[in-house]
Amino acid sequence: MKNLINRMRGVERDVIDKPGQDGSQGGAPFYKPQADEVEIFQAAYAKRLPVMLKGPTGCGKTRFLEHVAHTLGQPLVTVSCHEDLTSSDLVGRFLLEGEETVWQDGPLTRSVKEGAICYLDEIVEARTDTTVVIHPLTDHRRQLPLDKKSQIIDAHEDFMLVISYNPGYQTVLKDLKPSTKQRFVGIHFDYPSEEVEREIVAKESGGLDADRVEKLVAAGRKARALKDHGLEEATSTRALAYAGELMQAGLSPRVACRAAMIAPITDDPELIQALEEIFDAHFPESEAA
Amino acid sequence: MSEQVRNDGGADSEAGDLVEIEEILQHLEDMSFVAHRDAKEALPAIREFGAGPARRWIETARDLFFHDREAGKSFMRHSARMAEHVGGVEPWRAQAAEFARWVNSADALEGFMSQADRVFAAWGEDGEREWYATGLRWCERSLPDARAYFETDFDKLAAGRGIEGLRALIDPAETLFDERGLTLDCYLEGAPIARNLVGDGGLLSWARRGADLLKAGRSRGEAYFRLESDESLKLLLDALPGFRPRMHGRFLRLVMLAWLDADIPLADSSWKPGEGRPMLETDGRRLFMPAVMDSREEALVATQHAAAHLAYDTYALSRVERLFERAGSEHPPLDDRSRITWRPLFAAFGERMFRFQILFDLAEDLRVNARVAPRILRFLERLVRLAEAYERPAEPAGTYFDFALRAHRALLEGREPEDPRLARMLEPDADVVTAWEVAEELFADGAFPEITIEERAEAYLPGLSLNAALPVYPQRERNGELADFRDHEAHDEHKFEHEKQEEQPQQAPEDAQKDPDADIQTPQQETSGTGGRIGTGIPQPAQVAKRAAPYTPKKDGILYPEWDYREQRYISDWVNLYERVLDDEAPDRAAEILTRHADTLKRLTRGLEMQRPMRPAPLRKQMDGDELDTEAVIDYVADKKAGLSPKAFIYRRRAVQHRDTSVLMLADMSTSIMARHPGGQGKIVDRVREGMMLFAEAIDRVGDPCAIAGFASKQRDQVNYYWLKDFNEDLSATVRNRIAGVSGRLASRMGAGIRHSLEAFRRSSAQRRLLLILSDGRPADYDDGGDQRYLHEDTRMAMKEAVDAGVHPFCVTLDPSGSEYLPAIFGPGHYTIIDHVDELPRRLPEIYLRLRQ
Repeated sequence: MKNLINRMRGVERDVIDKPGQDGSQGGAPFYKPQADEVEIFQAAYAKRLPVMLKGPTGCGKTRFLEHVAHTLGQPLVTVSCHEDLTSSDLVGRFLLEGEETVWQDGPLTRSVKEGAICYLDEIVEARTDTTVVIHPLTDHRRQLPLDKKSQIIDAHEDFMLVISYNPGYQTVLKDLKPSTKQRFVGIHFDYPSEEVEREIVAKESGGLDADRVEKLVAAGRKARALKDHGLEEATSTRALAYAGELMQAGLSPRVACRAAMIAPITDDPELIQALEEIFDAHFPESEAA
Repeated sequence: MSEQVRNDGGADSEAGDLVEIEEILQHLEDMSFVAHRDAKEALPAIREFGAGPARRWIETARDLFFHDREAGKSFMRHSARMAEHVGGVEPWRAQAAEFARWVNSADALEGFMSQADRVFAAWGEDGEREWYATGLRWCERSLPDARAYFETDFDKLAAGRGIEGLRALIDPAETLFDERGLTLDCYLEGAPIARNLVGDGGLLSWARRGADLLKAGRSRGEAYFRLESDESLKLLLDALPGFRPRMHGRFLRLVMLAWLDADIPLADSSWKPGEGRPMLETDGRRLFMPAVMDSREEALVATQHAAAHLAYDTYALSRVERLFERAGSEHPPLDDRSRITWRPLFAAFGERMFRFQILFDLAEDLRVNARVAPRILRFLERLVRLAEAYERPAEPAGTYFDFALRAHRALLEGREPEDPRLARMLEPDADVVTAWEVAEELFADGAFPEITIEERAEAYLPGLSLNAALPVYPQRERNGELADFRDHEAHDEHKFEHEKQEEQPQQAPEDAQKDPDADIQTPQQETSGTGGRIGTGIPQPAQVAKRAAPYTPKKDGILYPEWDYREQRYISDWVNLYERVLDDEAPDRAAEILTRHADTLKRLTRGLEMQRPMRPAPLRKQMDGDELDTEAVIDYVADKKAGLSPKAFIYRRRAVQHRDTSVLMLADMSTSIMARHPGGQGKIVDRVREGMMLFAEAIDRVGDPCAIAGFASKQRDQVNYYWLKDFNEDLSATVRNRIAGVSGRLASRMGAGIRHSLEAFRRSSAQRRLLLILSDGRPADYDDGGDQRYLHEDTRMAMKEAVDAGVHPFCVTLDPSGSEYLPAIFGPGHYTIIDHVDELPRRLPEIYLRLRQ
């Protein structure tokens, strides 16, 4: 009953929900394919091969996965990995309930049992012992051993493992082990082409007018040229979408660009000036009002 | 006149005067033919003012002549003109007579005589008297100073402000002469220009600084007053209003990079205050920015416009050759740096060449601006707005200025140009040759007035500049594509220094200084010497034939193999490496670096506290400890209840959490780090030292085992490996002093350096080992036969060896073009580029701390 109320309030929902079950309306989250990534994923899914999504921050990896999971009608379980994530956080643990102990499945175990797509976001952040847990799941065995329960769970036929991996220099010391890497099908992502990006920004911002979308995307692409010249992460598609949303919410274009695309990524005064120069040129004062 | 005669006549009769004049003439004739002749020539003009004055005049002439022949001659030579202009013989006669008080005053007198009449006309009798009296005071102090005073044009001294201006300029000099013995001739070299910049009020302190320098060292002080030393320029520029491109070089570069994807380096031009309008120049590889421009807007327009010239083939070799073909001549022999210029073609226009040059530049500027405008938003708008706000120059320059402005305004508004002759410049196939043709057409039009070289600069719109100011490295046809534009020699110190000398030869010879277009004739300096920069810019032969120059290598050091990609095999014992201790210690500099970066260090330390083992990021699930780990306890109890027999790892402990990482920083210590800091002050090596120092301090605070080493090579048989700090060494004063004493030498054979570092790692037991390579360019050496790929491949293999040995290599480079070759060597994500050298000291420790997390 409580669950039902919470579910109705939208506060809480079970991690494993088939698309549509959670009561949300509408179709799959918007995703505009850049190349053949959807085909690759579907082929991998058909054979239930584990997939690795690579690419810079904010280029649409997570959105892509939400989208394909929805189109495939598969529940998606996302686990954001962090340093203190232990294998029992993934697999499960015994809990005390009164005098009893109750085994509580972790998100990975539930996905394995119920046949969901399990998405381990930024897997490199997790400890290596965590990544070893997934090994038996990623080869022909498709099994999850539960040491504490002395059980082995054979994966549901719809289960699929997806990890994301952002090759940046902060990961040098904790790169995935080659033995882990080679178990995955890799899909490479990059920032989309200008045309696609325009479409994405228009859609994400909720109907920003074409003129401003075009300028915004053009400006963002110019700003991207500054990567490696002080910018560690280039202006992402997500940042563009945020800027579009801020504009749509009534901010002037210049303010929106500063807030979404300059302030978060750099404190370098010259870089800020250069970025402002670019954005201001696209959105001249006269139109700012 | 008769009145004057009576007044001047006094008691003597006119006849007596005349007799005396004849006697003196006779006397002079006996003494000197020249004196007699000059006196006779001047006398009629003097006689007009009466016999008495004439007598006094000739007495003065005689006295001066007997005192100093030269003085007498100058007096006589200028007298006729003087008398005519002043309308009398006094007071200048009496004034000139005073010069007889000093020996060797002839030069000062010459200066006095040559302009006293003009002073008289300009400032009146009182003004002239003060001008003279001031000069005379200098005669009493020192004659060379007096000479400098009288020889300098009085109006220049006064800056057109009359006697007030003169006082303002000379008063500080008089004060400082008394205070510090500052000579006027030295002071006058730069003071008139300096006064324009710092104002009357700032002049005294400006000069006092110079006087102090002069005491410290003569040549340094003199350079200060000639406005040639950095010190004086800096002082003046600080007072100068406007935008300083040097301070904003990175901003301007980033903007060009964003709009045009062009990474064009900026450098300082030789422009100095007082040299007319500051303009940007280019040699096809760099943009030379003047120290000050009017505004940020102008600097932006100027850099973008110059980039447009490069992008749209103003300097393309093929086009320039066609210019010469049209003229039926050939490009004169290239200078030894293979640069081109079309300036010889201007010679055909003789005296009127400047008129043609402006028209030619105008047409070409319009063309490239039209081409680049769609790529840089608001470019034309900004240019037109600047030009409209600019004070229209006087004729004749104004005509050209208006013409250019109208053409650009039409372009901005999308109209056809008002002048149909310019329409051709906007056609898609127009090029620099078209500009020449259009310029010839315009040249024939009498509506454009004649113009002199002095007025030339004013004819240009703000932000635009002479297109042929410098000889230019010929460009291939780019057709708008600048993405591959590279600074071939940004880090090339030798070349850099050569160029510095070369770009500014105008100041050296006396006569070249007066000709702003001296570079047409100035012979280029010999720059083809040996010892080019290793790292990015060794002169490369067209073909790769041999692995190395043949000679017998030494083999008394530590031997390492090297990978030869052409044979796809290791050549064993190929490299001879020596471990050396760097004995250049610089304790003073070490202290200075630590002081200067005290703030950064404090900030770093605070950040480090977060990472320190002391921080209660407690160890969880321990066998014993200070408190219970709640989660572990629940797990434990639950597991136990479930019938398992878990081990009692249920405590938390605040113990030293040993992050088992050791790091070796390996610095490229090749010559290139001695290059000048691209932003101006100091050298790159200064930042490298600071970076290493902060790195060492930071790591020391974290407590990780750390070693610092540098390498430099001279061919394969001498790779030097310098230990600055070994793993087992503490960060002592000695280590700090060694780091502060780092300097660049020789080349960078990176592979050997890496291999030796791997050996060092064997001594460290840490689980995670990080090899941090600090580099500023490609690996290269003198004997790589010009084959860049050879050492690239070898370095790549050394990287692989490192990974196999359980060492994580990571490269931090200062080379902005590093992304061209680093991914291939280190792999994507295993390097980072710091294109802003000043950030190195701060970034280095940060990078390490991020890597070790």
